[in-house]
Amino acid sequence: MSDKPVKFYSKDKAHKDAEKLLKDSILKDSPGSPLANPIESNALLPESAVNVGFKGDTSKPWLKKLFWPSLSAFVVFAAGYEAYGFVTGLIEANWLLGAVAGGIASVAVVSGGFALFKSWRARRRFKKRAQQQATLQQMLTDNSYGKAGEVLKEVTNDLEEYVNVTLLKTDFEKKKQQVHNDQELIQIYSGTVLEGLDKMAIDIVTKHASEAAAMVALSPLAAADMALVAWRSSKMIEQLSRLYGCPQTALGRFEMTKRVFKNMMLAGASELVADAGVELLGKSLTATISAKAAQGIGVGVLIARMGLQTMHLCRPVPFGQDNKPRLGQIRKSVYQKVVGLVKTASTGKSDKSEDTIENKK
Amino acid sequence: MDLINKFKTRSSQLVDRGLNRNVRVAVTGLSGAGKTAFTTSLINQLLHAPIEEHLTFLSVNAEKRMLASKLTQHEELHIPAFDYSNALANLTSDIPQWPESTRNVSQAQIKCRFKVGHRWAKKLQSDSTVTIEVVDYPGEWLLDLPLLAMDYQGWSKACIKYLNSERRKQYSEDIQDQIKAFDYKAVQDDVALSKELKEIANEYRSSLMSYRNEYNDYGLALPGRFILPGSLKDAPTLDFFPVLNEDVLSLNWDQFEQGSSLKVLEKRFNYYKEKVINPFFEEYFTKVDRQIVLIDTCSVLESGYESYQDLKGTVERLLEGFSYGRSNWLKRLFSPSIDKLMIAATKVDLVPPDQHSAMESFMQKMVAQAKNNVGYEGVEVDTMAISALATSEPVATEHEGDKLLCVKGIEENSGESVIHYPGRVPDKGLSRQEWSKLNLDFAPFAIPELSKDESLPHIRMDKVIEFLIGDKFI
Repeated sequence: MSDKPVKFYSKDKAHKDAEKLLKDSILKDSPGSPLANPIESNALLPESAVNVGFKGDTSKPWLKKLFWPSLSAFVVFAAGYEAYGFVTGLIEANWLLGAVAGGIASVAVVSGGFALFKSWRARRRFKKRAQQQATLQQMLTDNSYGKAGEVLKEVTNDLEEYVNVTLLKTDFEKKKQQVHNDQELIQIYSGTVLEGLDKMAIDIVTKHASEAAAMVALSPLAAADMALVAWRSSKMIEQLSRLYGCPQTALGRFEMTKRVFKNMMLAGASELVADAGVELLGKSLTATISAKAAQGIGVGVLIARMGLQTMHLCRPVPFGQDNKPRLGQIRKSVYQKVVGLVKTASTGKSDKSEDTIENKK
Repeated sequence: MDLINKFKTRSSQLVDRGLNRNVRVAVTGLSGAGKTAFTTSLINQLLHAPIEEHLTFLSVNAEKRMLASKLTQHEELHIPAFDYSNALANLTSDIPQWPESTRNVSQAQIKCRFKVGHRWAKKLQSDSTVTIEVVDYPGEWLLDLPLLAMDYQGWSKACIKYLNSERRKQYSEDIQDQIKAFDYKAVQDDVALSKELKEIANEYRSSLMSYRNEYNDYGLALPGRFILPGSLKDAPTLDFFPVLNEDVLSLNWDQFEQGSSLKVLEKRFNYYKEKVINPFFEEYFTKVDRQIVLIDTCSVLESGYESYQDLKGTVERLLEGFSYGRSNWLKRLFSPSIDKLMIAATKVDLVPPDQHSAMESFMQKMVAQAKNNVGYEGVEVDTMAISALATSEPVATEHEGDKLLCVKGIEENSGESVIHYPGRVPDKGLSRQEWSKLNLDFAPFAIPELSKDESLPHIRMDKVIEFLIGDKFI
């Protein structure tokens, strides 16, 4: 950058060559401004350097790390060897039987490999998203200019793979101006594109939470409840992660579910207290009606909390203090759903009982 | 049914009163900082917001809750109205002109109708109105605040010190001699004395004004109304000057006769204090809720180290009024009600966007101490780099092999389209040596052709509006 003032008149070449930044970026959809320096990876300090804390267990890390890969390699090797023996044995007995078994085995290998590949990609996506989150978070506090455009572009591309965000994107393009710095740009993005997604995400969470609550309230088997929770929550996480452009598959989702639970446990104490209060209140109110309904509400709120944590993990720009999704609203619909169910059930029952009384007469 | 309707309107009124949806925003800054342009733009943005929904950072606008807004007649009938339509007409005419500068207090009132967003308030009323009063007044008048704590003798002593500095001496020498030769004891006819005083006072004023115009320095020796008299032009209360004779100052003033020149001067000084400054601050401090101070950082950067120091001092004194808790007498006199203060660097449209943050932090360093003092009193303070009316657009061009972000506008003299790079704006305070090395040139652009039917182009006005009044739209 030059330190001295410069002026270019219309006859100068530089004047003619000058690009209109804003117009260009809309027309060509070029990533960010031409000045945008590619984000230097070293500009962002690793998280460990920012936070004060343990350095992590460094004693014999390689030995520890080696355990799982070596074990799984061993199992795969053993299984492969056994399978080979099995198939050759079958071929010796009857070549047709052997061919069929071999065919099935190869299909299993190919499809398993494909699933593995997909989950590996999903995990990479998830890591990339974490990286994006860190980058954008950093930019929100820095006073930088011209860097955010590129990252946001990348995020939008990720989103567009799974969700139709054209409308939200045009809203963003309309609102952004060339004078906006990174912080403002990210805020606008968060307020347009991501807020639109948030609304859909909240709908998804509400739907799953209240459905699960209703199911648990009605399910006759306690053991079935657990299965229900697992099923509904994994379904919800899948949908939410898709919505935010980093879809997670079964294996990856396991990782994600782990993270979600970890975050839920580590959630700020105040948040937890507030949530717990809400939960307790809901329970004690409903417990007077029915213990099963109270359980349903408990499960619904749990799933809602999981959903909110998933949103936190997947959203490219972290929530601010004001736009954080609250549990209250979701809890209300969960509560309404269950209470509605209980009411209809009880009125149905009372009708019946009246019938029986009348019949007795 | 009637009863229910009655109850509804009553509860709505109660909510309005309880939430206090009237807000009085005071706009100030030293002359040339762009107060009038800011006020015009503020009104313009608010009037266009419900239709265009262009104020991204004004949350009520982004949430699409603004219904309509209009200019209305303000309640304080003794304050002249801000001539918005004229200012806008000037800006959007064939030969665009900047609106005339502020010479007096003026006020405008805008009412904004909006959908209530608060969870509970929404249940009592669906929509409500925020009344925004914008008061535009010269920053020079704020500098009179220290005068309130002084008497004539004390003021004169302060003036002697001020006028005898190296730089000011050459401007004030003549008038100092003239004042020193003045006979304070003499008792003479009222009219003749008034005339004599007027002559000397005019002389005093003009000599200091020429110094001020040269250095843009605002001292105690030049009370605010001397610079911008407002409605007090030629009023006798402004015809006074400090006593510069050390021997007179050391005397006991009780021995002077009631009709003596000295007593007349003292009377005028006291009158100025009580009848001019006092009412202004009373009205100002007790009624204003939000304040924005505009600082023309570009011209500060263009001038040298000396004037930077002077302006820094002036701005600190300007902001002293807001850190009222420190001076107990001020608190006793008025009960200030300002709870938000914004200090804005104006005219950043002359600076390429990647340097806005440098501009802001430079200004922040300049006002750091004062800002800290104000913040200590529980007033929410923020700084921002803004442009009420953007006359340029950012472009990128190549210079000596590097990409260079510049601003493109119309050159004022030639009317030619020009791309300008003002140089590198410092982002911190500079030493004297660094100042001399500084090479900056902020050439102002001419106003581009503007449409009357669209909102004025701006930089960060939405953020300013959100900070100043955004919380009222709940």
